[in-house]
Amino acid sequence: MAMVKKNNLLSKLVPWRMWVQSIFLLVWLDPLALRLHGMCCPVFHCYACPLATFACPIGVIAQFGGIHIFPFIAIGLLVVVGVLFGSLVCGWACPFGFLQDLAARAPTRKFDPPKWTGHLRYVVLIVTVLAVPYLFGEGHPLFICRICPAGALEAAVPNITQQAIAGQTIVWPNALKLTILILFLVAVFFVKRPWCRILCPLGGFFSLFNRISAFFLRLNPEKCNDCKRCHKLCEYGIQPQISPNDSACIRCLECTRCGPEALTFGSAFQHREKPSAELKPERSQANT
Amino acid sequence: MRTRGRQISVLCILFVGAVLFAYGLFFHSTAISSGQDEDSAVYVQSEPALIREVSVGGLRRDESGQVQKTYTGQPPSACPT
Repeated sequence: MAMVKKNNLLSKLVPWRMWVQSIFLLVWLDPLALRLHGMCCPVFHCYACPLATFACPIGVIAQFGGIHIFPFIAIGLLVVVGVLFGSLVCGWACPFGFLQDLAARAPTRKFDPPKWTGHLRYVVLIVTVLAVPYLFGEGHPLFICRICPAGALEAAVPNITQQAIAGQTIVWPNALKLTILILFLVAVFFVKRPWCRILCPLGGFFSLFNRISAFFLRLNPEKCNDCKRCHKLCEYGIQPQISPNDSACIRCLECTRCGPEALTFGSAFQHREKPSAELKPERSQANT
Repeated sequence: MRTRGRQISVLCILFVGAVLFAYGLFFHSTAISSGQDEDSAVYVQSEPALIREVSVGGLRRDESGQVQKTYTGQPPSACPT
């Protein structure tokens, strides 16, 4: 019963999601100057950023691949967080996602990328984070850190500014990284979370757990009146009523605000009277 | 049944993840060469120390397969990529 209350509380936090993201941002931005770079965080935040508490797990996996060492800590952490929360981390804790959420508030016309583009995240994960670092090392131009817009924005830009202020020789990022950064900065105003939805390797990894994670979106067919309001509430083109734990979902939980409250954020270990999967046949029997 | 299956899957994967994490944190280490010379010192570093090193681009693998440091003295302030 206590678990039910807790999950409802999380759903009640949905209108304040930006504040939750801000609190997480404070954690990642190293306000106490701890520089705990011996440990990874479960979000996309470059360790070369002057304000980074932890190491980026994707950067660590790629760098370890380059020197042919298995990254036990990074993989272990991502598996634990992934199997518990899935892509809830993307929607509520990731600073790079938060930045894109803020940019999306600009009053510009937004476009939805085709759904198949979400699969590019796995291509980025396999090619630039795993294969290229392992086969060619960190000097290859397609090594993830050499093309990552988070690295360009959070590390290269502050470092260039610092160098310019100090009157030192400015070390520019490579042309490909700069191009991707510029494209990203334009895209954030016209597509909601373009990096997360199309190219983020960490989001791709977490999305693999969406269908099996301990915390997940549960549809109660008894309450659902097929109004499709959840389709309108979802800003990422998902149909939560049909696929509540879709791999493209970032678990912003906006869909839980639908009128009949048919969608709830629940736990696999939550005690319920009747699981939603068992309610379907009962309802169809009642209808017939 | 679906819920039971999900619970078992979660617990199994959680266990695997926790074991990987704990192994990396407490037991995993790698021999690092401090320089490019053959007679340079080789020492063992734990995984958290390795993460700290790679976060500034401080390690690379040479042709012989040995992991070596890319710098001497003070570490670079940020990753060169």
